Amino acid sequence: MSEAGVIHDIGYQRYEGQRLGRRAGLTALYVHGLRSSFGLGRSAKAKIFPWLVAGIMLLVAVILAAVRSQLGEVIFTYVQYDDQMAWLIIFFVAILAPQLMSRDIRSGTLPLYFSRPVRAADYVLAKFAAMVTAVWLLLGVPQFIMFLGAAFTTKTGARGVWNEFLDLAPGWGYSLLWAVLFSSIGLLIASLTGKQAFAAGGIVAVFLVTTPVVGVLSIIGSTTANSLAGLASPMTLIAGIGAWLSDGPVEMELPIGRFGPVYAIEAVCLIAACLLLLLARYRKVASL
Amino acid sequence: MSTVALITARGLLGRRRALLLLPLPLLLIGLAAICRANNLSPDQWGQAVIVGLGFAVVLPVVALIVGTGVLGSEVDDGTLVHILTKPLPRRDIILAKFGVAVLVTAITTTLPLFAVGLLAGSAELGIALAVAAVAGSIAYSALFVLLSLLTRRPVLLGLVYILVWEGLLGRFLSGTRVLSIEQYVITIADKLSPTDILPSQVGITTAIVMSAVFAVVCTVIAINRLGSFSLAGETS
Repeated sequence: MSEAGVIHDIGYQRYEGQRLGRRAGLTALYVHGLRSSFGLGRSAKAKIFPWLVAGIMLLVAVILAAVRSQLGEVIFTYVQYDDQMAWLIIFFVAILAPQLMSRDIRSGTLPLYFSRPVRAADYVLAKFAAMVTAVWLLLGVPQFIMFLGAAFTTKTGARGVWNEFLDLAPGWGYSLLWAVLFSSIGLLIASLTGKQAFAAGGIVAVFLVTTPVVGVLSIIGSTTANSLAGLASPMTLIAGIGAWLSDGPVEMELPIGRFGPVYAIEAVCLIAACLLLLLARYRKVASL
Repeated sequence: MSTVALITARGLLGRRRALLLLPLPLLLIGLAAICRANNLSPDQWGQAVIVGLGFAVVLPVVALIVGTGVLGSEVDDGTLVHILTKPLPRRDIILAKFGVAVLVTAITTTLPLFAVGLLAGSAELGIALAVAAVAGSIAYSALFVLLSLLTRRPVLLGLVYILVWEGLLGRFLSGTRVLSIEQYVITIADKLSPTDILPSQVGITTAIVMSAVFAVVCTVIAINRLGSFSLAGETS
């Protein structure tokens, strides 16, 4: 008869190594999110859609750079490039946001993340940063290719390259604006459902539906109302800010009048609201 | 066959997510009503609302949600195997699901488009838009039902079609318009009730024949695909 109360040593070992804290968890989530945005470290099927979009964007940039260097013609400026690629950016966001958010809900990894030192705010921040980086790379790299095309064929030496860079820098900033606004909206929608398909459909619906609303609002009412019509859609919102900041000759279909600051304020409020709602969403997550 | 249709309809509409189908049509009617209330001429807002919102967004997106929902969700859940093991011809399964998809899409899109047509002009325009929407529902549903059998990511592929093919390329390259359901729908509506609002860019014969070709070919391929459907799962 065995003695009662004996605890047998069955060989469990304590972890003796260094314990990584919140920051390491945040960095890991960020790197993982950024890699999986482009399907790195995942199956070939997961790479199809992100690289399809990236491929089209790069192809267009190469063509633009070639035309610029051979014929000396500027078809799109850096800022116009972003505007023209709006549909592809929407599609990219619709692929990316569900991949970053909905997959974790669907596969039930959220309780595992949150049983680590990582907090909800860290999780949201890491995902947001990963997505902003990914979207910005999607726009910034082709813009850089366009820059290289222009820089190597400049006639005025270093000064020409520097002038070209002064054109590129606002273009990069504009891309960042696209990335931040679209990421915050996309992530918020994706965080509401565990099904990637629904999240993707929802994101596209939100972005596409708002465009005709702008079209209608811009023809009814007074001039003031028309100038404010662009507020209704994220795309015209960004275009409005771009027009306000560039302050130059803008050949937009949508005159914003003197309401530029209103556009900027709404963009900031929209981003802040989306991020706060995301934080509220992750205050409590369903366990398995 | 009717049981399959019934189960499909219940799976589609019986849950809370059926409410997701409501906002798009309501927005369509709402915008048209606002324009009408402001006494604007339909020439100004008709194209933005009917083509820009109705035919370019509401019709394809509703068809995408419904078309991939009837079959795709069952593939995802793995409940498709229960239907496949019943002694039913695969043809009947596809036809039942396709029928439900067409019916739901058509009801969700024709009613608001008819209302918009009424607000924009006459009952004649409303009927033309409604008929065109029915034709579009049939073609889109066939395409999206097929997509949900060809790939595990039918929604993304469907979005590629709507955004890149019809949206982006349709604007820049005139050649792709011949293979764009959106253009068929616009053409059919325009020919039924000629106005200045709708820009028809393909021939009426092309539009009708190609819509039918889309519907028939996609359905036949879908039946063929379901006949050799493999249930092996994959993760990615």
